[in-house]
Amino acid sequence: MKRLDLIFSERELDDVLSTLEKAEVPGYTVMKHATGRGPERVVTEDMEFTGFGSNAHVIIFCEQVTIDKIREDIKSVLSYYGGVAYVSEATPL
Amino acid sequence: MGHNLFIQNALSPPILFFFLGAIAYALKSDFEIPSPLPKLFSLYLLLAIGFKGGIELQKSGFNYPVIPTVIAAILMSLLIPLICFVILRFKFDVFNAAAISAAYGSISAVTFITAESFLESQNIPFDGFMVGALALMESPAIIIGLLLVKFGAPKDRPIKKKMKWGSILHESMLNGSVYLLLGSLLIGFLTSAIDPSDIKKMEPFTGDLFYGAECFFLLDMGIVAAQRLARLNKTGAFLIMFSIFMPILNAVLGSVVAKFLNLDPGNALLFVVLCASASYLAVPTAMRMTVPEARPGYYISTTLGLTFPFNIIIGIPVYMGLVNTMIPQIG
Repeated sequence: MKRLDLIFSERELDDVLSTLEKAEVPGYTVMKHATGRGPERVVTEDMEFTGFGSNAHVIIFCEQVTIDKIREDIKSVLSYYGGVAYVSEATPL
Repeated sequence: MGHNLFIQNALSPPILFFFLGAIAYALKSDFEIPSPLPKLFSLYLLLAIGFKGGIELQKSGFNYPVIPTVIAAILMSLLIPLICFVILRFKFDVFNAAAISAAYGSISAVTFITAESFLESQNIPFDGFMVGALALMESPAIIIGLLLVKFGAPKDRPIKKKMKWGSILHESMLNGSVYLLLGSLLIGFLTSAIDPSDIKKMEPFTGDLFYGAECFFLLDMGIVAAQRLARLNKTGAFLIMFSIFMPILNAVLGSVVAKFLNLDPGNALLFVVLCASASYLAVPTAMRMTVPEARPGYYISTTLGLTFPFNIIIGIPVYMGLVNTMIPQIG
């Protein structure tokens, strides 16, 4: 079992979620209003009224085969708009 | 006269609340407004000015100077980004110059609302059709900014970053603020034409609450502007100077056009404010989607951290003085 963490601008959330749906991931968790600092920009809640400001953090638990299916589409979104994606091992409790 | 206008403006509740927000940030107070609320208030303000503008537009009809003024406003939002681009290219690459130019060619609805409140406090009449000009000035500036990138970008720009015109037009014409503003304008127009009694039902929401909501929103804008101002040192002196002098230059251009159109002083001030203001809503979101190479820190920090506070605190009374000089009030 793998854990995939995606952090990107909320504006791209629909694109990313539709990619996940197409790959038939078993489920995902979405946390909106994520803020912080990346190498190039600071993301704060103060610009949220513009629909520009905050990030979304999406967590997916799935098998490697599912990650292989969504890899290119996710990388394409993240390389264009910015954002990060990391895969780690996950062990059920 | 000019001095009095400045004092009256600086001591009006919306500006005082703006200061209150800015001072809260400067003094590191733990005061904050929960994040969904500013969004709600910005949507409310757009709905209310759109609705009221539609009612006024129905009353005044499409006689002179409605059509020429709206056309002039659109032309200004096409011209201003080109002037900005020429200036900005001395210091910035095509992507950043185009994105900042688009922001300055577009408008700030909150600056416009603050100017309307200023006119009301001075008992200077103005017309509702100016809201139409406000709504129609957002998109052309975005399109010009993107055209500047399209024709000015290096030939080796990655293919995946080439622009799709469908999404550009969708983003520029149907972004949330333009959509709500134009939709509310149309609803106000239809309501006034079909059943004016419905206007009374809306009055407590779009009329009585408006001034308080504006003050509350400006309280939050004070915090946001102060935060952005604190980050301006990263943008450099050139951009700081640009964000003060460009609105003044645009205001002078706008006042010349307003005089040529023979606008009343109230409408002339609103026209000048539209030319002088810069967008921090529609343009940044459009630019981020279509020009990811441009740094948001440049076009947001300048428009929100300097140009917006400059316009609402100093600009509006100065522009009123400019208008009064060029277009003497009758009576």
